[in-house]
Amino acid sequence: MTEKVSKVTLESNDNVRIQIDRAVAERSMLIKNLMEDLGDDAVADSAIPIPNVNEQVLRKVIEWCEKHKGDPIQSAEEENDNRKKTTEIDEWDQKFMQVDQELLFEIILAANYLDIKALLDVGCKTVANMIKGKSPEEIRKTFNITNDFTAEEEEQIRRENEWAEDR
Amino acid sequence: MSNFKRAPTGAARAQAQAKQPNSILKTLQATELIVSKPVLPAEILVAILDYLPVPDMMRFARTSRRMREMVYDDTRWVARLRSLGCWDEAEARRRFEETMRRRRELADRASVSAAPGAAAAGGAGGARPMQPPTSTTLFDATAEVERRNQTQLRKLTDGFETIKVTSGQPPRDPFEDPEALLQVIKSAKSVRGHAREEYGKIYGALAPFYLDLIRAKTHTDPIVFQVFRDPERQAKMLANLRTFAKSDWASGWQQREEKLASMIGIFESAVLREFEQGYEFWDVDGRMKKYAHVLDTLSGDGGSAGVELFIHKHPIFADKEVLANSMDCINQAPADEVVLEPSRRFFDVLSRKVNAQADIIERIFPRPGPVFWQFVGKVREDIIMEYATPLFDETHERSILSYVKAVSGLFEQTLQFFRALTPPKGGLKAEQEAIAKEFTLKIFEPHLDLYLQDELDYFVRQAEREVGDWEKKLSEQDASVESFYMGSFVNRQADKRDFLTSFKKVVMMPVSVLPTSLGLPLGSPFASSSSRASVMGSSSANGNSSLQVASPSAPSSRPHSPGLATPTTTTGGVDRTGSPLPGGKAPSDELAAKTALMTSRLEGIKSLFSIEVALSLVHQAKATLGRIAVFIQLGGQAGGEAREQCETIFVQLLRILGGRHVKAGFDKAVTHLSQYNARAVEASQHDKGGVAPLVTFIELVNVGDLISQMIDVFYEQQLAGPKIADRNDFLDPAGLAKKKFEQMLDESVAAGLNKGIDVLMDEVEYICATTQLPTDYNPAGPDQQQLGPGTSSTPAEKAANAAAFVDMDIGPTHTAKRVRDLVASHTSMLVGSTDKSMLDVFNGEVGLRLFAAVCKNLKRQRVSTAGAIKLIADMNLYFDYIRSLKNQDLLAYFKALRELSQIYLIDEKHAKEMATIIADGDRFGGIFRAEEVYEYAERRADWYHVRKDVERAMYGLECVLM
Repeated sequence: MTEKVSKVTLESNDNVRIQIDRAVAERSMLIKNLMEDLGDDAVADSAIPIPNVNEQVLRKVIEWCEKHKGDPIQSAEEENDNRKKTTEIDEWDQKFMQVDQELLFEIILAANYLDIKALLDVGCKTVANMIKGKSPEEIRKTFNITNDFTAEEEEQIRRENEWAEDR
Repeated sequence: MSNFKRAPTGAARAQAQAKQPNSILKTLQATELIVSKPVLPAEILVAILDYLPVPDMMRFARTSRRMREMVYDDTRWVARLRSLGCWDEAEARRRFEETMRRRRELADRASVSAAPGAAAAGGAGGARPMQPPTSTTLFDATAEVERRNQTQLRKLTDGFETIKVTSGQPPRDPFEDPEALLQVIKSAKSVRGHAREEYGKIYGALAPFYLDLIRAKTHTDPIVFQVFRDPERQAKMLANLRTFAKSDWASGWQQREEKLASMIGIFESAVLREFEQGYEFWDVDGRMKKYAHVLDTLSGDGGSAGVELFIHKHPIFADKEVLANSMDCINQAPADEVVLEPSRRFFDVLSRKVNAQADIIERIFPRPGPVFWQFVGKVREDIIMEYATPLFDETHERSILSYVKAVSGLFEQTLQFFRALTPPKGGLKAEQEAIAKEFTLKIFEPHLDLYLQDELDYFVRQAEREVGDWEKKLSEQDASVESFYMGSFVNRQADKRDFLTSFKKVVMMPVSVLPTSLGLPLGSPFASSSSRASVMGSSSANGNSSLQVASPSAPSSRPHSPGLATPTTTTGGVDRTGSPLPGGKAPSDELAAKTALMTSRLEGIKSLFSIEVALSLVHQAKATLGRIAVFIQLGGQAGGEAREQCETIFVQLLRILGGRHVKAGFDKAVTHLSQYNARAVEASQHDKGGVAPLVTFIELVNVGDLISQMIDVFYEQQLAGPKIADRNDFLDPAGLAKKKFEQMLDESVAAGLNKGIDVLMDEVEYICATTQLPTDYNPAGPDQQQLGPGTSSTPAEKAANAAAFVDMDIGPTHTAKRVRDLVASHTSMLVGSTDKSMLDVFNGEVGLRLFAAVCKNLKRQRVSTAGAIKLIADMNLYFDYIRSLKNQDLLAYFKALRELSQIYLIDEKHAKEMATIIADGDRFGGIFRAEEVYEYAERRADWYHVRKDVERAMYGLECVLM
């Protein structure tokens, strides 16, 4: 293990190859495990295909990974504690996430696919902040949800949860 | 990621373009809304929900059925209830099972009522054809709903429960029923499937206050303080809000919690001020009590801020009566000593005061137990530490002895003090014990290492000095003692047994069992100090009585050494391993007297080693161990260290006592033995019936054995008894040292005995050579013609022999008696003083050598038929003696010797029979061969007369002639 491959090449679904540091790539548990399974030689020789992510999103994700390559990996214990999970989004991430919604969702999906926990969290928090204070109708639009309630049913749910309404 | 769906958005986009001309703002808004082409999978939506505040979550639920399922998911709400600490899994399971049971019952009942006549015996309901199981479930559900409705109706009676998730009119105004709001968290139930509703109750009750508090600008704004006017309720509500904040997970919770904390802080300091004012007026049952309870309600941890204030400002820490000067303990004591009376008074006063506080604390605080111990902890830190530390430092500078005494004594007192405290009700006794130990350890921890080291050093130094002093004294007197030792050794064989017995008894005394004098438990400093005192010679009141009690049982002996056969030892027979703890009270007067007596009697071995030294070493070790042993009860690491130190002291004791003292003595005695030359000593010495250095040595063996037994008792009672050393652990250093010591003793004894046998036999031969008269076995009787070659005696001797012959009985000769006595006395001296097997070997060797010596002596003599009677008597004497040794192998030799002696009795006329006997190997049990017997036969005074006949009979010359 003395001679570790320091660079890896990723290939997006639109066949763009991007070479990045191994440490950056290892933010993704998927790639990390893949490299461990395949061995250094295989990784050095060929590009790793990322079939579900296009170049734009991949570059964005890599940008995030570059920034966060030094972060400690979250432990399982921390993940279980709801409160620890809900830390504030730091300034850089906030700025990073100021993209149009489509891209934001694609980043979230890519993070989910590549298994980058921290990025997924940041994405979810951003989305949560986005829909805070929105009406059900607005939420439906945001998430492309089809309303399958009748007006009475919807009113029923509202009344059920009247206790939670802002005062 | 095959589920990477994209919604058909062409229409939406066209719509957006169509709207474009209207307004740029509107367009922007629309754009944001419609570009949502990718659809997030459910698991991500769930993750997003986790970050949403509760109201948004509920709006989310309204978007579609699927979303509602997600939001309503029970685990989500169970987690929230759990974070509030009001979800009880056990309770939930119980409820669930109860519901299931009820459902089953209902199902049974329903099926019975539905089909009254149709095979109702089945009972399980599954086999009924007319009623499919699905309908049963449906029915159950309705029944359940009904049941729930009923309970809800019932719940309506108490105020709060009216906030129903299903009821259309929850009371918006918390002013209506503030009391119920206070209890909302406590009254939450753990019902599976209804966690959201339960959380809803709590949220509905607390969120308005919570959000209001967060928004509040000043501490007067929040409605919490307006709804509740009295501080108890305010505290309760704030505590509830603090708990409630734990279920606030949405982003920004840190700021909200900080805000809440600062509000609570403001409230708390206000309460604390009230409490302090009450404190200043010592308004125990009024304001102090009230605000202590408020603080407790607020923080939930017993009101730590109030407790701290209470303890910090407590008058006891400035109480002149309590703050005694520990120097009294030194100033009132003689040099090298320390009196613990002032410290005892100090602890008495302190104990009284602290116990008085326990009562007050109980009146003030809702949870007095922890408060009390916190208070005691402060007392420990500020008063006891302040008391003890200077004392220890000072004594350490003055003298190590007083230091070790002070540390050990104060330790015991401190532990007693903590144990004697009367904490407020509700505290467990075991808990108090643990706390007492912990506090005591905290006080003594800084001193413990130093103390243990000093104790060991002190002991080693004292012991070394003791031995060194003794050696110095000895070398000063060396010359005189040497001559004294060699010259004036008196034969006191007669009183030797008695002396050794009494000696043994007294040696055992200080460490042996005194069951009746156990006034104090072992380990109390008073017990150990008094034992110390009494050992040192001050008289104790019950000394004599305890001696009388103990004397019959005291001299417990090693199992293999049957004592010295005196009535006391044999009747005693108390098994020492089964004996209770040593009382430590020695009968000092008796002991002193006996020791003096012994010392005078032991003059002979004074130059070798001193039992006094050994005794004093053991006493010192005992005192030291007594001091350290109190620390063992601490347990844990400190206790372990103390225990190790005890073992080390024991090992050191054995090293100094064994290696330096006893071994040196033995070596010297062995040297003396090897230098002994029977022929070089004046004849007068031999009359005394003992070989001086050997007697000395054997005595030494006896004393060594006593010391060994002493050590054994000491080990059993001081180390094994109180569980300091493990008797069964063969790697235990103390046990190893003890074994090594015993081994050393045995080796020394063996080496000495080896030499001793040589010396003894030299003596035997010397006696044979000098006192065996030729006429003994060849008496110059009436027929003088049988006089052998040894008849060249002086006339005087002849006359004596003649006289002896006249009144000669057939008893043994003087020489034989002396030889027998000599050997017997030396062997018997060893009985009970050394290892049984070693004694057997010794006796066997002595017997064999005696046999050789007797044979040698016999070969030098002429034996006449008349003298043969004497010879037989001698041989019988030896035989009887050997038989007393109970050694079968040895007995065969002397039996043969006895048989052999009979050949001298045969009249010369029966030479042929003599030949038969000579040739009869069986007769001598294989000990003598025929040639050897022949050689002995040559010693017959009339050998030349009978020789021809015998030889003829033996070698068959007669036959040839015939």
